[in-house]
Amino acid sequence: MGIDRRSIVKFLIGGAVGSMFTPTPWILTDDISIWTQNWPWVPKNIKGVDAYVPTVSKLCPSATAMLVRTVSGRPVRTMGNPEHPLSGGKISPLAATEVQLLYSPSRIKRPLRKASDGGWKEISWTDALALLDEKLGFVKGSATRLAVISGDQTGTVNEVLSGFVASMGSKQFFLMPSEAQTLARAWELMGGAGMPGFETAGSDYVLALGADILESWGASTRTRRAYCEARPHGEVPAATYAYVGPSCTNTAVGADIWVAAKPGSQAAVALGLANLLIKAGATSSAPDFAAFKALAARFEPATVAQLAGVSEANLAMLAEGLQKAKAPVVIPGSEFGQGGSVAAAAAGMALNLLLGAYNQKVGLRAVPEFAPVVEKAMARKDVMANDLAAYMQGLAEDNKARPEILITYEANPVYALPGDVAGTVAKIPFKVAIAQFMDETATMADLVLPSPLGIERYDDVATPAGCGVAIYCLNTPVIDAVNPAANIHGGDVILGLAAKQNANLGFNSFKDVLAAKAKAVGANVADLTAGKAFVSEAVTGAQPSLAAEAIAKSLEAKAPEGAYALAAVNKLGFGTATTAVPPQNLKLVREFELAGTLMYVHLNKATAAKAGVAQGQKVTLKAGDGKAIPALVNISEMVMDGVVMAPCNLGHTAFDEFAKGKGANVARLFTAQVEPGTGLSFWTQTGVAIEKA
Amino acid sequence: MSGAQQSFKILWGMAIDLDKCTGCGACMVACQAENNLAPEKDASKKQRVMNWLKVFELSNGKPFPDHDTAYLPRPCQQCGNPACVPVCPATVTKKDEEGGIISQVYPRCFGCRYCMAACPYKARYFNWYDPEWPQGWDKTLSPDVSVRPRGVVEKCTFCHHRWMKAKDKARVAGNDPYDLPEGAYVTSCTEACPNGAIVFGDLNNPKHLVHKLAHSEYAFRLLERLGMDPQVYYLSRREWVRRLGNHHLENEKTGEFTPLGGGHHG
Amino acid sequence: MDKALLPEGCPRCSLGKFLIWMAILGVVLAWGGYWMARIFLFGIGETALDNTFGFGLWITFDLAVIALGAGAFFTGLLRYILNIDPLKYIINLAVIIGFICYSGAMIVLALDVGQPLRSWFGFWHANVHSMLVEVMFCITCYLMVLAIEYVPIILENRQLNKIPFLHNLAHNFHLIMPLFAGMGAFLSFFHQGSLGGMYGVLFSRPYAYRPGFFIWPWTFFLFVLSAVASGPVFTMLIATIIEKASGRKLVDFKIKALMGKIAGTMLLVYVPFKIMDTWGWATSVLPEMGLTFGELFHGVIYGQWQLWTEIFICGVIPMIMLNVKSIRENPTWLYTAAILDCIGVSINRYVFTVQSLAAPVMPFDKWEIYIPNQAEWAPTFLVIAYGAVLISLSYRYLPIFPQERALNAAK
Repeated sequence: MGIDRRSIVKFLIGGAVGSMFTPTPWILTDDISIWTQNWPWVPKNIKGVDAYVPTVSKLCPSATAMLVRTVSGRPVRTMGNPEHPLSGGKISPLAATEVQLLYSPSRIKRPLRKASDGGWKEISWTDALALLDEKLGFVKGSATRLAVISGDQTGTVNEVLSGFVASMGSKQFFLMPSEAQTLARAWELMGGAGMPGFETAGSDYVLALGADILESWGASTRTRRAYCEARPHGEVPAATYAYVGPSCTNTAVGADIWVAAKPGSQAAVALGLANLLIKAGATSSAPDFAAFKALAARFEPATVAQLAGVSEANLAMLAEGLQKAKAPVVIPGSEFGQGGSVAAAAAGMALNLLLGAYNQKVGLRAVPEFAPVVEKAMARKDVMANDLAAYMQGLAEDNKARPEILITYEANPVYALPGDVAGTVAKIPFKVAIAQFMDETATMADLVLPSPLGIERYDDVATPAGCGVAIYCLNTPVIDAVNPAANIHGGDVILGLAAKQNANLGFNSFKDVLAAKAKAVGANVADLTAGKAFVSEAVTGAQPSLAAEAIAKSLEAKAPEGAYALAAVNKLGFGTATTAVPPQNLKLVREFELAGTLMYVHLNKATAAKAGVAQGQKVTLKAGDGKAIPALVNISEMVMDGVVMAPCNLGHTAFDEFAKGKGANVARLFTAQVEPGTGLSFWTQTGVAIEKA
Repeated sequence: MSGAQQSFKILWGMAIDLDKCTGCGACMVACQAENNLAPEKDASKKQRVMNWLKVFELSNGKPFPDHDTAYLPRPCQQCGNPACVPVCPATVTKKDEEGGIISQVYPRCFGCRYCMAACPYKARYFNWYDPEWPQGWDKTLSPDVSVRPRGVVEKCTFCHHRWMKAKDKARVAGNDPYDLPEGAYVTSCTEACPNGAIVFGDLNNPKHLVHKLAHSEYAFRLLERLGMDPQVYYLSRREWVRRLGNHHLENEKTGEFTPLGGGHHG
Repeated sequence: MDKALLPEGCPRCSLGKFLIWMAILGVVLAWGGYWMARIFLFGIGETALDNTFGFGLWITFDLAVIALGAGAFFTGLLRYILNIDPLKYIINLAVIIGFICYSGAMIVLALDVGQPLRSWFGFWHANVHSMLVEVMFCITCYLMVLAIEYVPIILENRQLNKIPFLHNLAHNFHLIMPLFAGMGAFLSFFHQGSLGGMYGVLFSRPYAYRPGFFIWPWTFFLFVLSAVASGPVFTMLIATIIEKASGRKLVDFKIKALMGKIAGTMLLVYVPFKIMDTWGWATSVLPEMGLTFGELFHGVIYGQWQLWTEIFICGVIPMIMLNVKSIRENPTWLYTAAILDCIGVSINRYVFTVQSLAAPVMPFDKWEIYIPNQAEWAPTFLVIAYGAVLISLSYRYLPIFPQERALNAAK
C-alpha cells in the first residue's frame, strides 16, 4: 500500500477543507448562535406602546409622586414625576421598585382564613366578609371589644376606618406610631393650629435635630429637592445643612456639619440652643416665654455636653449658625422616624419660634388641615392622642380590656411596635389583616384580606408629615389589579361592613369618599384625576406657646439603663415594616450590614475597645426584660462614642426568601415609656448591653 | 497598534457631585428597574451581586469625631482608553459609536471574563446563573433592554436605549439628533437621584452643564492616573475625597500626576 | 490477558492490578465528572469564582500546566531542529505530557467560559488586539500539532504496528515530525508569551502591568522563558514518577541530568530577567501609578513571602543547583531542584492570576479573598486523573521509552 508524505497531507487537508463545503458545520454553528440566545427559560421582553401614568406612592413614607411607565398596559417601572411637588422628577429608593412589588412573592393574592391546623385556606370574598360581619355583630356597641390599627399615614381611608370604629361604639382607632403623631401631639401642647410643617426650600440654614430629613423623615423626596436646589453642582452651597444625631446617617453625610449627640437627646440640645439664642437676644411673644427662658437657662453648654454628649464648641457653633442665618429652620425628629419624644419635638419647634421662623416662607409653618368628609370620623387630634404603644403595653399587663377583634389596615404592629407584642396580639381572639404582603401581623391573623397596591387602586395622599405646604393628591388605578381577587380597597371593605352593621358612614364606595374629599379640599377634580397635585401655601393660626411646662415635666422621664445607647437608623431603601426589604432593594445592603442571616451593628473603635469586641465578632445586644438580638460587630467611625447603631427593617420572620431571616429586628430592643408631661410613649432612648456570643 | 483613541463629536459623560450624594440607593434601584436586572436572594454575597451602578462608601480614615464619610456611585466609566475593549477576544465590547459609550453585545459574549479582569472599577458583572424572577415579575421587564442569560458579562450602558429613543424623538420633531439639548437624554440613575447628585450630558457640548463641570476645580476622575480617560467626572469640595480618586505617593499633592499612556498591545 | 498488546520485551504489571489502578482514577474522574455536569447544567455559579475573581483556580491550573507542558515543544525543538540527539530517549514522553497538559487545559477552559457553546466566537469574531485571541489560536493549533505528534506514538503499539497501512503511516509521520516540531515551537513561543502578555497588558491592574518591547510586555518574554525553564524538568520528573511506580528504569539518568541542564540554562536566562523585571516594576512602574511596592501585598495570603519564595527559593536556588554539574548529577538534588523549579513557575502563574485580581485598584476599595470550592477542585483533579489515565495506558501499551529494554537488561 503506497502511502507517502504527500498523501497524508492530502488526506488531512482534503478532509478538513471538504467538510467545509458541506453545509453541516455552517448550519450547526448558525444554530448554536441562535440557540444560545433563545433559551426557553430566559424570559423575553415584550414590545408595546409606552404610556406614563401619574400617581403618588402609597408604599413609600416619602409619598413620592411617580409616573408609572406602562407598555401596552403592562406596568414596567416607576420613575419620578417632574410636574409634581412631591417628586420634581425624582424618586425614592423604595418608590422606585413599586411596580416590581406587584409581583413580590409575598403578595397576598386572595382572602385567606386560618385553618384549625394553622395553615391557610383560601376563601371567597363573600364568605370572608360574611364571617367578619358575623364576628363584628358581637362587638358592636362595646367601647373596648374592637380595635383598628391603620398603617396609612396620609390617606382619607383613616376617616373611613375611624368613622367605622366610632360608629361601632369604640374609640380604639390607632395609627402606627410615626413622626406625624409626635409632631401633632407637640403642636397640640403648644396650642398650634392646623398641622406643623417645615419648609426648607429657600432656607440658608437647615438644622436637623435627629430627624433624618434627607433619607426617611417626612416627604423626603421633596425635602431633598430643596437640598439639591440649595447646592448647585460643584459650587459653594447656598445653604448650610447641619445634622445632630448619634450616627453619621445619610442626612449627616449630605450635611455640611455633623454634630454627634446621644440618641434621644434632642430636647436637651434644643434647650441648650434656645438658652444660647435667648442669651444672644432671641425672644418670643409666646405667652410662656418667661417660663421657657427659665427652663432653657437650666441647659448651659456644660449641662448639654453632659446630657447629650454635644461639645460646648459644637453647641455654640450651631447656635451661631442659626443666629446668623437669614432664613433658618430647625427640624426635630426621632433618629429613626418613630417613637420620638413629644417634648423634643416641641422644644425643636420652639427654636423656630425663637428664631422668628414661624409662618414665614421658610421654617415652621402651621399648615391647614383638609376638612374631613366622613361625618362620623374621629377628629385628627383624637386619633393622634391614641397611643398604640401604651395600649399594647396595657394589654400585655392586663390593665386594659382585651379586644375581641383587631383589624389591621396595611399595618404591621407585630413587627414594628417597640418590644415584642406578638404574644399580646396572639391573645386577641379574632384578628383581621387587610394587607398587601404576608407580613408578621398577617401571618398571625385569623382572616387575611388582600389589599391592592397603590398603583392598582383609587386612593389619596394628603399633606405628608412635616410637609411645609398643604398638598392633596388623588390616585387613580394605573393598571388593573394583577391579582384579580385582590382588587378591593380596604376602604370599600370597611364601608360594606359598616353598612351591614347599620353603621352607615354616608358613602357607598371609597371612590365616593375620595370625590367628596377632593371637593372638600377645594381642588379641581379634573386636575387631580390627571395627576396634578393641589398645593396650598396658606398658613393658619396665631401665636403658639413654647410648651414650657410640658417640656419641663418631660425631663422627669427615666434615664435609659444599659452601658451603651442604641441608635436605630431607618433607611427607605430597606423598605418599611409593611413592605420589608423589596427584592431589588436587597442589593442596597452593604457588605458590612448583613452577612447571611446575621446583621451587623456598628460601633466605633473606642466603644468596641471598651466593650472588648472586635470586627466581625458575634454579639448579643440585650435591653433588659430578656430582650435580645444577635448581631455581628462592625467597627465604624460613623458612630459616636458609647453608642451602638443598628438598622431598622431587617430581621423579618414573615415575607419571602428575599426578606425573611435576614438580620434581626431592632424594634425588639426598643423600650417604650410614657413621657411625663406629654402623655405619649417614646422609645428613642434605649440602653443596651453588648454580650459576646 | 491603536494607541490613538478614536475621537467623537459627542462624548456622553457624567459629573457626580459626591458632596450631594447621601448614599440612599435610589439610583441603584432605578437602574435595576430600567435595565432588567434580576433580584438576588442572597445579597450579602457582595462579590456575586450584580449592580451596574454601585455606591461605594468612602472614609477619610480618621477616628470619630474627626471621621468623614462620602458615597461614590460607580457606573461604567465609559473610558476613552478602556482596558476592557482591547482584551475582549470576540469583539463583544467596543468603543466605536458616536457618543463614546462602550457597547456590550450579549449574544456574542462567551463569558471568558477577561474584560472583568481588566476593569479596575469592577464595573463589569458576570451572570453566574440564569436570571430568575419571582413568578409574574417577568411581565414588568422593560422592552428596551434585552434579558441576559447566564454565562455572559454585562455592564452599565449609560442607558444607551434612551439615547436611541431621544434621537428618534429629535428626528420626528425635525431636530438634529446629534445636537440634543441638555436633558433630552439622561440615564435612569441621573433621573432618579433625589439629591440631583448626577449631571449627565455631552462633555463636548459647551451648552451642556457637564462640559463646564468637567473643568471645575473640584472635578477629578477615578484612576485618571492610569490613563484610562474615563467619561465620568466626580466633584467634591473635600480634598480627602478628591485624593481618593487616584493613588498618590506620600509626597505628591492631590491630583498632581501625569496620566500614563495606557495599553500598548494591539 | 492483554499480553499481546504490551510492547515487546517490556513486562508490565498484571491486568488486574492495572484495572484496580484505573478504577481508583475512575473514582476521581467520576467525582470531577459530577461537578462538570452540574456546571454545564446550572452554570459556573456553582464555583467560588465571583465578580472580583473572574479568574481563579482553573486559570491558574491552566497556565501552570501549559507552562509545565512546555517540555513538549522545547524538547522537540532541541531534538528535531537543534539536533540534540540524546533527547530522542525522552521525546515521546514529552509529547504525551504536552498533549495531556494542553488537552486538559482545554477541558478546563470549556468549563470556565460562561457559554461553552459559543467558545468558537473567539475565532469567528476574533479581536486581533486581544492577547487572548493569540492564545486561543496558538493553543488550538498547537493542540492539533500535539495530537499529530501523538498519533505515530500510538501507532507504535505492537498490534497496530502489524497493520501495514498503519506501519507506513507511522513511518511517514516520523519523517515529517521536524516540520511539526518547528510549527509547535513557533506556536508555543507565541502562546506561552501571549499568556504572559494577557496579564502584562492590563495597564489597569498595577500588580500585573508591565511595559515592554513593541507590543509585547515583559511578561510575554518572562512567561516563555519560565515555561522552557520548567517544562523539561517537569517531563523528567514525570518519567521518574513512572519509574518509581513501575519499578523499572526507563530513562538513562544522563538524559535526566541533561534535561536538568537544559532547564538550568534557561533559568540562568530567566531568573536574572525576572529579578530585573520585578525591580523595574517596583521602582518605576508602581511609582508612576502612585503606588508603592508594599501596597501590592497584603496580609498573609497575599504577602511578599510568595514573591521571595518564587524568585529565590524556587528561582535562584534551582538555577544554581541545575547549573552545578556535581549537584545536578546527584539524583536527589536534581529532583529537588526540579520540584522547586516547577513550584516556582506555578506560584508565578498563581499570583499573576489571583493576586492581580485581589489587589484593589480603586484607592477606597479593599482586598478580596478567594478560596476555590469543590466545584473547582473536582474538575481540576479530573484533569490530573485524566492525565494519569493517558500516561498509564501509554506506558502500558506503547513503547514510549526507547531505552527501557536496554536499561533493564543491563541490570
